[in-house]
Amino acid sequence: MAVPLLEAHNLHKTYRLSRNNHVRALRGVDIVVEAGEMVGIMGPSGCGKSTLMHILGLLHSPDLGTSPPPSLVVDGADVTALSDQERTRMRAERMGFVFQTFNLVPTLTALENVTLPMEYSGRRRSEAKESAAGALALVGLEDRAEHRPAELSGGQQQRVAIARALVTRPALLLADEPTGNLDSKNTAEVIDLLHRFNREHDQTIVLVTHDSRVSEACSRVLTMDDGLVGSAERER
Amino acid sequence: MLRSLARRKLRTGLTVLGITVGIWALMVMSAMANKLSAIVVGGSEYFDNKVVVSDSINPAFGFGLTPIPLDVVDEVAQVPGVALAAPRIQFLLDPNDSGSGFNTPDFVVAYMAGFDRGYETFRMEVAQGRETTLEDEGRRVVLLGADLARKFSARPGDQIDIRGTQFQVIGVREPTLTFFDTTAVIPWAAGQELLRQEGAVSRALGGQMPELTSMVIAYPEEGASVDDVVQTIEREMPRLRAVSGDDFDEQFGSTIAIFNAIILSVALISIVVGGLAVINTMTMSVIERTREIGIKRAIGASRAVIMRELVLEAGFMGFVGGLTGLALAALVVFVANDAGQSSGTILFRLTPAIAALGVAFSTVLGALAGALPAWNAARLDPVEALRYG
Repeated sequence: MAVPLLEAHNLHKTYRLSRNNHVRALRGVDIVVEAGEMVGIMGPSGCGKSTLMHILGLLHSPDLGTSPPPSLVVDGADVTALSDQERTRMRAERMGFVFQTFNLVPTLTALENVTLPMEYSGRRRSEAKESAAGALALVGLEDRAEHRPAELSGGQQQRVAIARALVTRPALLLADEPTGNLDSKNTAEVIDLLHRFNREHDQTIVLVTHDSRVSEACSRVLTMDDGLVGSAERER
Repeated sequence: MLRSLARRKLRTGLTVLGITVGIWALMVMSAMANKLSAIVVGGSEYFDNKVVVSDSINPAFGFGLTPIPLDVVDEVAQVPGVALAAPRIQFLLDPNDSGSGFNTPDFVVAYMAGFDRGYETFRMEVAQGRETTLEDEGRRVVLLGADLARKFSARPGDQIDIRGTQFQVIGVREPTLTFFDTTAVIPWAAGQELLRQEGAVSRALGGQMPELTSMVIAYPEEGASVDDVVQTIEREMPRLRAVSGDDFDEQFGSTIAIFNAIILSVALISIVVGGLAVINTMTMSVIERTREIGIKRAIGASRAVIMRELVLEAGFMGFVGGLTGLALAALVVFVANDAGQSSGTILFRLTPAIAALGVAFSTVLGALAGALPAWNAARLDPVEALRYG
């Protein structure tokens, strides 16, 4: 079997809210994702889904003092205990993010939003522009390139966000409730888009969702409860 | 960057305006201080290494207006340490104008060309025409100071009226930033003639007119103490007053220094206020954009990128403010100097150095003021920042 694209073991995350109030958001998560998979994570709110996404997306690090120690390997790189700078570079070059609330930069046009990750990963401006235009075309929004987020519908904004996440051809696409703010028509569009990227471009995707229509598009679904990934995995 | 500034037009505008006013004040004040300092430096250089002797009732510093007998020249020349003493006539061009504010009044000065025999160290260049020479003795010719030439719009060849007598302009001096700029230099004999015409003097002396001068310029011998010369003259000739470069520095140097300090502190206060405005604007801007910063961090913007973006933004505000301030200051200086030109007064001196320094200063000020909020922004936890708003 090939080396997995993402392999995480024994991830713990404790948030300290005050001196005596700690929240154990993750309590020893193990997760392995093969390249080309589209993995859905489901579970009740507060079960640690978002925390897991933040750690897999290198926005936060796992607790390091646990026994046995945590390990997190993404795309062949051990990213368990990287500095902020190194994690930022990983995010820029090998990861894409799609958020529930789209999170486009309001002052920038669709095209400029999509160009940002290319600039952050140090590409030349001309190359960045070209790739961004290509990514916008892939999500069917080439005619909206010069629109600001406020001039786009929710579904269109999320498609711009997907283009932005994929423009650097990341090894891993992470999506946190990508359809959470969309109506059913747009939800269907976004599901279709993600599914298509997974099938046609072998894009590895890990997403968190509440929506059964989204999870049905996934190749594998994990359930989380109380800071642990459950054993009830469903293979499709 | 421009777009995020344009998003908050009013606030950005007000901040830039704050810097503008600060830099404007700094520039105008510096231009004024610069001019004043130049006057003092000019005066200090002029009075350096010479002693100006005049009648003790003269109120103004070193401007001998009360005639004294020409014999005084010989008396001064006898003083130990004096290498050369020479007479100089000096009187007001317009008897009713004794000058006002920072302006020295317009003077007429008469001396024998080459009287200093090389002792004079203060160099003055001629911009147009020529200096007066010994051949001019007996002629009615005049060498005009730069401000005076501007005031009369006079050029070599023109005739001007001095105390009712026509003089032909033979030259115009380069600006010296001393009283020579408002001075008309005429040959010694012509000066004597004009001094004799002075009604009051003639009447007081009952028509018995000895040869007169207004003051005596004494050049000390090499190695001789200027102070000793001054003291000897004042001790042995109580009706005379002797002043040297040290007296000038003492009287004007400290006054002007204090004045400059006040001017510059006012300007600096404006700058500090402008700087605080930038800090305030950038802090607000960072808070407002917390979420945007979180987004950028999440999709791969490093702390350095966030810092750079915000510092550039703040620096740009400083730059625009500085540039606008400079433009306004240049306008004020131009208009004020232009208005003052008719009276021969140039109040401001705005040099390219002041201009460049001012703009650079406000740019750096803006960037520095933006650095602290930018640093805070760069250190935000992206996840926390994304939850904001």
